Amino acid sequence: MIGASLLTIVVLLAWATVCGVDLVSFPQAMLSRPLVAGTVAGWIAGDLEAGLRVGVLLELFALDVLPVGAVRYPDYGAASVGAAVASAGAPWELSIGVSAGIGLLLGAFGGWSLQVLRRLNTHAVERAGGELGRGGFATIRRLHLSAIARDLVRSLVLGGVALTVAWLVVRYLRLDRETATALTLAAVGAGVASAIGGAVRGAGTNSPRVRWLAAGGVAGLATAAAAWSFR
Amino acid sequence: MNHRMRALARLLAVQGSWNYERMQGVGLGFAAAPLLEPLATDDPARHAAAVVRSAEFFNANPYLASVALGATVRAEYDGVPPEQVGRLRTALCGPLGAIGDALFWAGVLPTLLGAAITAIALGARWWPVMAFLLVFNALRLGTMRWGLAIGLANGMRVGAAIGASPLPRLATRAGIAAAFAVGAAIPLAGAWLAHPFGWRGTAGAAGIAMAGLALSHWFGAQLTAPRFGLLALGATLLIRWVTA
Repeated sequence: MIGASLLTIVVLLAWATVCGVDLVSFPQAMLSRPLVAGTVAGWIAGDLEAGLRVGVLLELFALDVLPVGAVRYPDYGAASVGAAVASAGAPWELSIGVSAGIGLLLGAFGGWSLQVLRRLNTHAVERAGGELGRGGFATIRRLHLSAIARDLVRSLVLGGVALTVAWLVVRYLRLDRETATALTLAAVGAGVASAIGGAVRGAGTNSPRVRWLAAGGVAGLATAAAAWSFR
Repeated sequence: MNHRMRALARLLAVQGSWNYERMQGVGLGFAAAPLLEPLATDDPARHAAAVVRSAEFFNANPYLASVALGATVRAEYDGVPPEQVGRLRTALCGPLGAIGDALFWAGVLPTLLGAAITAIALGARWWPVMAFLLVFNALRLGTMRWGLAIGLANGMRVGAAIGASPLPRLATRAGIAAAFAVGAAIPLAGAWLAHPFGWRGTAGAAGIAMAGLALSHWFGAQLTAPRFGLLALGATLLIRWVTA
């Protein structure tokens, strides 16, 4: 990030904006999932490995809540871009803990900005209530396109904030090796706990899903033990 | 581009103007415009009234909103009384929301994410991310197209058509697949990220995960994932600062 070219920064900002708009407005193609947003941001920043690791870690947190209807959820799109950029170029073992912190903070900020956007959209629709009642497609088009434009601005601002925070962290934050390692392990543990918590809540109680979740967990543990014992 | 394709393209932004008053209503009205265009030349008065109704309150899973769009537009062309069109629109919110959320948000999405994370943890690099995007979007675009077609074909009888379709069964099965895929992905992802730190590091991460689950059980929904993550990172920094 420190030595990134202007073109790289512009592309990262554009990608963060696309991820922000994708979450709700257009096209909801799951570009905003941390796994996608983080991996692509890492690739743009020249460190695919860091992007993948940050993406998987933040995805564990994101699995906790599903983006259903009016539910309040974090916006991890631009947050994952900032987090991946903060890790790019550094040994991931020492950087993804801090990156997870950046991603979680920015994700919560993004979620709050989404509530503000929805309130602004509500005011716009309330003001246009009379016009909507009289008919005419022009009012619908104006309301809809202006709301998407608002989300575009929100996402651009979020992307700018995410990249600025990433730059500040890379530029000024200095941690010793032990602290950086401890933060990475804390983030991994918290991510695993969040994903398990979300999966258990999603499965409910006394259902086949709980049994399949447990079966998956056993299969995952066995595969992990087998895979890493041969490395 | 024909009317259906234009409507489908606009449905990709059905939540673009999501608000607390009409929720997806304005977005659905925006998507309905191409389908209602022929009515404007045939009967301008009916067209104007249909446009007003098209933007009224609506909320469902965005990928199944196409079913409601097709059914209400067909009802407008069939000359169904306005209050019945309104009732159809309202009645579809619940089932399309429940089935769509169960199928996509609690089924397809976590299944594919779990599979992608598993593949990455086992040594694949970027391609599972690409595969996730391709498969998810192929499924949701196919569902949207099918939904619009079944809505336009059945109009007021769309509820029975959905009930007879494989959608409700698929939603149940997708939830089971999601549970297994996520269950398998979590330990693999944790091991992939913690393995370089050896057994002590992995045990430390597992200990934090156990503490997180205990706290989550204690505090319930109050302790969201971001809150717990930030709490864990803050506590780690504090412990390092005190013990340094």
